[in-house]
Amino acid sequence: MNIITGFLALLGRWTLDNLSYYGQLGALMGELRDCVFHGRIRWRLMMEQIVNIGYGTQAVVIVTGAFTGAVFTAQSYFKFKDFGIGSSVGSVVSVSLCRELGPVLAGLMVTGRVGAAMAAEIGTMKVSEQIDALRVMGAHPVDYLVMPRFLAMMVSMPLLIAECIAFGLSASVLVGTQVFKIPFAWFWNHVLNHTNLEDVSFGMIKGFCFGILIVLISCHQGLLASNGAVGVGRSTTRAVVFSSLALLVANFFLTMLLNYFFPLGSAL
Amino acid sequence: MSASQPVEPFIRISGLAKSFGAQKTLQGVDLTIHHGETIVLIGPSGEGKSVLLKHIIGLLHPDAGKVEMEGIDLSHMKERQLLKMRRRMGYLFQNAALFDSLTVAENVAFPLRESGVRDKAEIDQRVHEALDLVELEEHKNKMPINLSGGMRKRVGIARAIINRPECILYDEPTSGLDPIVTDVIDRMIQRLQKRFRVTSIVITHDMGSVFKIADRVAMLKNGVIHWLGTPEELRNSPDPDIQDFIAGRSGMTA
Repeated sequence: MNIITGFLALLGRWTLDNLSYYGQLGALMGELRDCVFHGRIRWRLMMEQIVNIGYGTQAVVIVTGAFTGAVFTAQSYFKFKDFGIGSSVGSVVSVSLCRELGPVLAGLMVTGRVGAAMAAEIGTMKVSEQIDALRVMGAHPVDYLVMPRFLAMMVSMPLLIAECIAFGLSASVLVGTQVFKIPFAWFWNHVLNHTNLEDVSFGMIKGFCFGILIVLISCHQGLLASNGAVGVGRSTTRAVVFSSLALLVANFFLTMLLNYFFPLGSAL
Repeated sequence: MSASQPVEPFIRISGLAKSFGAQKTLQGVDLTIHHGETIVLIGPSGEGKSVLLKHIIGLLHPDAGKVEMEGIDLSHMKERQLLKMRRRMGYLFQNAALFDSLTVAENVAFPLRESGVRDKAEIDQRVHEALDLVELEEHKNKMPINLSGGMRKRVGIARAIINRPECILYDEPTSGLDPIVTDVIDRMIQRLQKRFRVTSIVITHDMGSVFKIADRVAMLKNGVIHWLGTPEELRNSPDPDIQDFIAGRSGMTA
């Protein structure tokens, strides 16, 4: 009997913890809304964050995109050439990059670089009373810390994903034409025939949603930090783990939803 | 302050209680603070003096009781409403809590910019004055990480006073400072009171400062105001706890 009640208690606690977590994320979104209507949007801080998030993450995203495009081209070519359709790898690579690989891989890299930095920076400010100092001096922490990052991410993330896709495709062209000697005209013709604007929108919209998830989860973890260096470490780890998992789960549902508006079949 | 004047208290704390988990830090604090007075909070470490100060400025919300500022209850206000009230106050954190990402001058200018001052010349002038007061003018372009603990504290003081608040809350303003700078800070608190009728609530363990600056002294012990009176009454109090506290006697033998 005790085991059963213990198990039920555990299950109940787990459910409550989860609900309270989602509630806290919802409350943070509510604060962001209040910032728009009753607070102050700090454009200068937003620009700084765009430099930090957008400009600063480019190298990571470019390398990720380029090498993913290159390796995906190679792997596809090895199999496609058995069927005599080696020259059509471009179409597969470009659609995959636009719809899945670009947004997901860039999103994961941004989580690792930016999400961790947000949680660590805000968390350190929290445990060293700098957040309380903001409050004392009449600055709302959400207005000052979260909103600029949120807006910067909205702007940066779709662009980063576009960059990731562009470099992935360029690498694919390079590998296809230079390594596997596919004539450029054939390769590019396949890419253009099978990729359309919807595929690109698909990636951008995903990126936008991933950006929201990363900022909300990471900033929330930072604001929640307590207990000194250990607490900041825990918050940072959680920010990266939760954001990455949320991104992968959300990716599936976004794919199903967006495919309703931009069906893959129409492009082929 | 004459007795015939109708005196509305500036800050009235009544029945304030706060627990952190099982630890009951404040258990019904009652205290009234008048405009323009300097009240010093003393008491053993870990008895909730900082917690009390954080309730006065609304950083913490009480479990029971309330804090009123000129009759307005702060304890149940939403954060965005509180932000406006807090601009009337200054707060020095125990560890100064300077922003790592801003220079000394930017830290000190922060409250001014937040309250909407945009004129760069005015900001520069006032930052200069505030830093001059704590003798740190030549360090204004340094980052907080490059300052000593005492210097950080003084930057924190400059930041707390720059906006000319009506009320300044100091959490151990002179801990970690040398005796000369301690005197400078004590004189500054007195000068702000005399010139601008600033209300000061000061937590300190430095009994010298207590007798120099206090109009009234409150001793917080076991979660309540254990004793309240003037410095003179404190000195002459028959309470052995108070006498031990003033003289720094622990009762232990070597």
